Amino acid sequence: MTSNSSAIALEAKAVSHRFGSQAVLDSINLSLRQGELTALIGPNGAGKSTLLHVLQGLLKPSQGDVFVGDTPVTSCRHRIALMPQRGRIDWSFPITALDMVRLRKPKTAGGCFEVSAEEALERVGLLERAKERLGRLSGGQQQRVLLAGAIAQNAATMLLDEPCSALDPPSRERVIALLQSLAQEGRSICLTSHDWGPALMGYDRVIVLERQILFDGSPEDVGEQLKDLMSAAKRGPN
Amino acid sequence: MEALPWWGLPLIFALLEGALCSCVGTVLLTQRRILQANLIANGVLPGLAIAVALQLDPAIGGWVSGLAAALVSERLIRSHQQQQEAVQNTVLAGALAIGVLLLALLQQRVELEALLFGDLLIAGGRDLLQTLLAAAAALALVGTQYQRLGFSGVDPDGAEAAGVPIHRLRTLLAVVTTLVIVSAISAVGIILVIALLCAPAVVGLNQASSLSGAMVRASAIGSSCSLGGFGLALLLDLPPGPVIGLLCLLLLWLPKPDQSMN
Repeated sequence: MTSNSSAIALEAKAVSHRFGSQAVLDSINLSLRQGELTALIGPNGAGKSTLLHVLQGLLKPSQGDVFVGDTPVTSCRHRIALMPQRGRIDWSFPITALDMVRLRKPKTAGGCFEVSAEEALERVGLLERAKERLGRLSGGQQQRVLLAGAIAQNAATMLLDEPCSALDPPSRERVIALLQSLAQEGRSICLTSHDWGPALMGYDRVIVLERQILFDGSPEDVGEQLKDLMSAAKRGPN
Repeated sequence: MEALPWWGLPLIFALLEGALCSCVGTVLLTQRRILQANLIANGVLPGLAIAVALQLDPAIGGWVSGLAAALVSERLIRSHQQQQEAVQNTVLAGALAIGVLLLALLQQRVELEALLFGDLLIAGGRDLLQTLLAAAAALALVGTQYQRLGFSGVDPDGAEAAGVPIHRLRTLLAVVTTLVIVSAISAVGIILVIALLCAPAVVGLNQASSLSGAMVRASAIGSSCSLGGFGLALLLDLPPGPVIGLLCLLLLWLPKPDQSMN
């Protein structure tokens, strides 16, 4: 667990985004800190994936900016790994697990977290299946290959879009433990999730998003705030 | 060339086109750009009509208008991102319509059957040269952009996030695809070239665990189809293009090999 005094890895300032006439993100101010594992939760369509794309610089926000230090994120996107949702991957593509991870490996060595493709696969427990064709792996194994790719990118900040979506509970536990260890090494990790209740306790920080940031704090605090919100909703308007 | 028997040049041409179309088809299939190849194949018609009217090389006219159709479609897709296939189909139909109108307005006579289905037996040295040029362009693209083609094929968002210039890559692929399609018109025509681009690639991809492996397998299958179709056509006194197209169709009925063989 990290303190609020950790260095800021990535900062979004007054970010808003619209798709046509539909507002998806509204005045988001957010700092991701080094060594912190952050869960971004919210209902479907809350803008979680859009926010990750904006934070990585893949999507230019309608308003506001994202910075790494004083530098606009668009100038240093290589320092931010983005693991896409599994639905965006062509699993029938002719490629092995190892080659899939190598695709994301920067051509030049360097960065704070130098990890080879083989080491990345070993960390997600898939080294023995390195030569397997991607399409022949199970959904959970494919998800871990994507995670290995993000690790091999040697990026200081990792943005992961639903990394636990295809995982059974034991595999999920292992992945969360791995993400905790990666954060403890100094990386800033932000993932989207549909976790709820006790499952949130594995994170350092939880952000509840629904177009705007509704809550932002420790899992305990956010859990209490969500409980209060749900109780108030059940009681209905007075 | 003169030392070759009458069937020698068409045979070499058939083998080369079979390998080239299937190899490029594998890249197109993994990039989800097959519909664009169909668009380009139909988009060559306006250029052919104009080139014939101006007494220019029809291949140059076809190449320019096929590429123009691809670029127009790319431009339109950017403003209609959710309706990509509808845009491509509309541009395809529009290009074909412009071609037919131009043929009527310019009062040009183009042998439509040869254009649509090709005629391997009249292939000459010029056709072979065009094919070699297209093959060189395809090799240059794959040789210099192999990693990027793989990345953008399997994980387009990840590739874009990592800085792969997706739009430039697609434009380069459109240029090469147009060269390949124009070079194949005399062999199999603008309709059947799609069969050579697709069917061997589908079978090749079933068995491969790398893009290069899939391209090599598809090329071997495509060459075999062309060779087999050419031989059968001679034996049965039929036009070679449609026989090659029919063999491509039959490829899809082949049983899928056990993938554990990989």
